[in-house]
Amino acid sequence: MTIMIHVPAVLRDCCEGASELSLTVPDVRAALAQLERDHPLLYHSICDETGMVRRYINLFVNASHVRDLDELDTALMAGDVITILPAVSGG
Amino acid sequence: MPERVLLSIGTKKGLFVAEANKARRSFTLRGSFGTGVAVYSALIDTRGRPRIYASSCNTWFGMKVLVSTDLGKRFKETKSAPAFPKDDGRALANIWSLEAGDRRNELWCGVEPASLFRSRNGGDSWEMVTGINNHPHARMWQPGNGGLCLHTLLRDGHRVHLGISTGGHYLSEDGGDSFTASNQGVGAGFVPEPFPEFGQCVHKISGHKDAPGRLYMQNHGGFPEHPDFGVLRSDDHGRTWRSISKGLPSDFGFPIVVHPHDADTVYVLPLEPMTRACPGGAPAVWRSENGGGSWRRLARGFPKKESFFTVHRDAMDIDELKSPALYFGTTTGQLWMGRDGGEDWTCVFDSLPPIHVVKVAVV
Repeated sequence: MTIMIHVPAVLRDCCEGASELSLTVPDVRAALAQLERDHPLLYHSICDETGMVRRYINLFVNASHVRDLDELDTALMAGDVITILPAVSGG
Repeated sequence: MPERVLLSIGTKKGLFVAEANKARRSFTLRGSFGTGVAVYSALIDTRGRPRIYASSCNTWFGMKVLVSTDLGKRFKETKSAPAFPKDDGRALANIWSLEAGDRRNELWCGVEPASLFRSRNGGDSWEMVTGINNHPHARMWQPGNGGLCLHTLLRDGHRVHLGISTGGHYLSEDGGDSFTASNQGVGAGFVPEPFPEFGQCVHKISGHKDAPGRLYMQNHGGFPEHPDFGVLRSDDHGRTWRSISKGLPSDFGFPIVVHPHDADTVYVLPLEPMTRACPGGAPAVWRSENGGGSWRRLARGFPKKESFFTVHRDAMDIDELKSPALYFGTTTGQLWMGRDGGEDWTCVFDSLPPIHVVKVAVV
């Protein structure tokens, strides 16, 4: 099924300026794997080299954080939207 | 083009570049670069056309390496940063040291967790140096307060010296293919065995290009039971070390810097071990001109009281002019310059973000 990934402005340089990416994948893990193949800079800004999502990056499927779903195994339905959101932090 | 003094200043909020002519009467400041992201390591590579490299420790999106080819007017990211192989299980947490290699585009990079990487194309791709990364000790090292960092990289032909906190000093004599813990005489006041084979909390190691056998170490000192652990010297390429702490107000500190024209002249910045701040609130750099045999306090120009900053391990450097100036940056955002080898101190910038690293070069 085809889903959409919403890319935040600060990461669009990693995918030729695209604000949205359309993918056909069954779950969040597969979506990240496809990003690693197609947009490695974007992928490495989301995940470290062990494959873990970085500590201050939040992934939402529609309105739900993946940690409240099935983490990276969260299944995707046609039309779902994955939103990548950096945490608000600093000082 | 006349010679210029270039400072690369890595801070909690990005990289700054300061420039002056040889008189060093005033510096112009550029930056910040790196969108406000912390910078813990920098390199001014003066081989050929000068290039400035800096790490960018992005809390959100991971590590980047920045490079400038126009003396710090603009920076761009290299094509990649060091990264562990996927099956290694470790993930890069910070970049602590950047050093030039033998070949024009060769770079070496020390990272956290303590590991070493090498690039042969100016930082666009990196390979792991397995001699240290897969060393049997590597999984036994413990992080210090700053993390488990490989912060010192000194190269002398086929010899490579590494400083790891908390791992100790490691020496390679085959260009980095293999490393041996080389800590005879290096104390550790935080474990039952005061002189372990490895695991010391080395803060910084410095050397002199014309006297490669001579090395100086700022080790983690400040132990009442071991008042001589902090400042050390080696005369045999780091195989053995001995204390040169006698005469200092504290053997605790982070940076240690060698005079560019005299391997016997060395500088430290003693700090109170419990607060990691200037003893008595009165900053001073201490200089030895006889290889640590005796020390002299250098404080002309510094506040005499009420200054409690810290100077981090890579935040002090010295230029290579005939009468060199020392520079250090503080956790309170001040950049100090000490003319005439540290005799006379001036605050060059007083309100930068907290400073992690200062590097200087004459270009």
